[in-house]
Amino acid sequence: MFIPLNYTLRSLWVRKSTTLATALGIGLVVFVLASSLMLASGIERTVGSSGKPDHAIVIRKGSENELSSSIESTAVGIILSAPGVKKSGSTPIGAGEGVVVLSLSKLGLDGKFSNVQARGVTPVSQQIRSDLHIVEGRPITPGTDEAMIGVGLVGKFAGMELGQSFELKKNRPLKVVGIFDTGGSGIDSEIWLDLETLRSSFGRGGTVSSVVVQLESRAAFDGFEAAVEHDKQLGLEAQRESAYYEKQSEGTAMFIKAMGIVVAFFFSLGAMIGAMITMYAAVSQRSKEIGTLRALGFSRVAILTAFVVESFFLAIAGGLLGALASLAMGLVKLSMMNFNTWQEVTFSFDPNPQTLALSVIVGGLMGFFGGFFPAIRAARLSPIQAMRG
Amino acid sequence: MRLATLGVRNITRARFRVAMTVLGVALALVAFILIRTVLSSWTAAADFAAKDRIVSRHKVTFIMPLPYKYLDEVRAIDGVKEAAMSSWFGGKDPNHPNEMFGTMAVQPESILKIYDELEVSPEQKQAWFENRRGALIGDMLAKKMGWKVGDKVTLQGTIYPGDWQFEISGIYRTLRRSMDRTTFFFHYNYLNEWAKKNQPRSADEVGWIAARVSPGRRAADVAKEIDNHFDSLDVQTLSQDERSFNTSFLGMISAILSALDIVSVVILLIMMLILGNTIAMGVRERTQEYGVLRAIGFLPKHLAIFVMGEALTVGFLGGVAGLVLGYPLVEQGIGRFLEENLPGFFPFFRVPPATAVTALFLAMGLGLVAAAIPAYQASRLNVVNALRKVG
Repeated sequence: MFIPLNYTLRSLWVRKSTTLATALGIGLVVFVLASSLMLASGIERTVGSSGKPDHAIVIRKGSENELSSSIESTAVGIILSAPGVKKSGSTPIGAGEGVVVLSLSKLGLDGKFSNVQARGVTPVSQQIRSDLHIVEGRPITPGTDEAMIGVGLVGKFAGMELGQSFELKKNRPLKVVGIFDTGGSGIDSEIWLDLETLRSSFGRGGTVSSVVVQLESRAAFDGFEAAVEHDKQLGLEAQRESAYYEKQSEGTAMFIKAMGIVVAFFFSLGAMIGAMITMYAAVSQRSKEIGTLRALGFSRVAILTAFVVESFFLAIAGGLLGALASLAMGLVKLSMMNFNTWQEVTFSFDPNPQTLALSVIVGGLMGFFGGFFPAIRAARLSPIQAMRG
Repeated sequence: MRLATLGVRNITRARFRVAMTVLGVALALVAFILIRTVLSSWTAAADFAAKDRIVSRHKVTFIMPLPYKYLDEVRAIDGVKEAAMSSWFGGKDPNHPNEMFGTMAVQPESILKIYDELEVSPEQKQAWFENRRGALIGDMLAKKMGWKVGDKVTLQGTIYPGDWQFEISGIYRTLRRSMDRTTFFFHYNYLNEWAKKNQPRSADEVGWIAARVSPGRRAADVAKEIDNHFDSLDVQTLSQDERSFNTSFLGMISAILSALDIVSVVILLIMMLILGNTIAMGVRERTQEYGVLRAIGFLPKHLAIFVMGEALTVGFLGGVAGLVLGYPLVEQGIGRFLEENLPGFFPFFRVPPATAVTALFLAMGLGLVAAAIPAYQASRLNVVNALRKVG
């Protein structure tokens, strides 16, 4: 026969302050673990969702990303005429784009610069990104020195407001005419301007960084890839856009995850010890009680279970508290550099159910292991001696 | 009697619990030291920056180069003692594609004058100067890749495509922490001759220019002069003294820095909870005893001193244990691993002495804070009630 759950719960309630201190400790661990996992998954989601599986991106073979890639303009036509590229009428839906990072001064941090990615686009670029819509102002007019910026940049850098301007070259200001939103992808942290403006400002005539195309279907990728990579002379590499962006988030997300796990590991050892101390004290304080229970006929297993369960509940309560607190982090937006692309991207914490469940379980495990040894001691008490005190 | 000794002796009563608490505090401190070391290792780049060096780069974007002729113009500017160029090459060892290290095309004589903390033996230096395909590499890189002087090395260019043959002419060590130990330097001429032939649009360009200011001149002033000089030209420069240049990187990761700051405070909170809990338990168990002490004439403040003394001692023991555990773990284990594998992020991953001392005092101080409530409760005990209380 097992000891009623009620006894366990009430035992916790009797020593409110100790219970609270222990549960808080575990709660803090769960909070840190959940927050860092949420941040890592937020980065993966933000950067990863910049790409679609039915888009393909072509960069120079051997380049890590668009930033270090350069493709001769003459190759753009060859890429767009490859099989698998979707057409609107007879024009292929694809665009050669130029990518640079600009050093912009960060508002609020005196004298600090950060890198913002700027993309030189053609009118087709917007058509390819079907998620992109203008939330304020208007799109840029081709052939002019105009720019539109992602919502993630607004108010964070000098010149990044509707109607303001910034310079790529002396005496050639670019006016911000529109603000766009793609619903939380990495593109929301980009500046878009006309490809020709970008090329002439940086003396990059004759080349683009990448070519992005819309495929007829997901399955069309293999044929497209084979055609683009067939001509070894061109030295090109085609990737599914979704895979490309996933790779771009890998390093940073891994870094955050690794750091979160290392920190949470040390934290959880500490919190586990806290739970252990609490439970050992509970056992020694209640040895008379335990003796009585044994005398009443409860078995050693029942005592063991009761104490492990008590510790587990204690930890779950703390874990839930921590998980709840970490939910609040979902409202926080962070702006940080993506190590892979040298570009600053705005991320948010991604409070997904798996992460929360995982963190609470880790909290519960801390209680389980923390309570196990004290519970063994309780179960091994001899009833007679225990009742004598 | 030595009231404090009594307090200290109390900790030997529940030895197991105290041992666990000390361990808990120690682990929290290890995490604290680790995080503070991450932070200080990042800011170290700024702390160790040379005060008389300036870095000039393209004003709008760091990925665009400066014209080669700017180098001589910088040299001619008043206040500049000497200047050298560097270009990012972006090479990879095809046998170890995941190993990242900086590859820079430089002019050997001038770069060693600017970065005089690079120490190379005179023979190796001479060999490097004379060998057009020669490379000078950091000792850490040599160790990691297993390269020795005289080795032939092939790197794959990412920005300048193709297979590039090099010969290791020398291995440098650093005299100051302002330079990392994993860079691969080679001749700019080798790169530029190739570029003229195969990629004319990237010929005669340099990534950035590093300059040293003449004695008595302020780096910030000279930096301004350099920028003014190029202001009317098509390609303008952004010049910063080395310290600002290094900290501009910190601006990009400021979000991580503040997150870590917060986390290190959270650790201290957990530590305090563990400590406070242990002390409170001790006080609760000894209620009757405190009643006796009060009855034989000890004052409330004495009881408070007992409790505080105990907390201080546990905190101190935990602090010492944390240092004993943490120092070797961070310095030898994690630090060595990070320095070898992520030198770009953590060129010098060492526990700053100030952090170690702070950690110890924090453990003791927080012990006192955590003991405040139990100590107050102990001193407020009603003698009769305390004596009456059953176990």
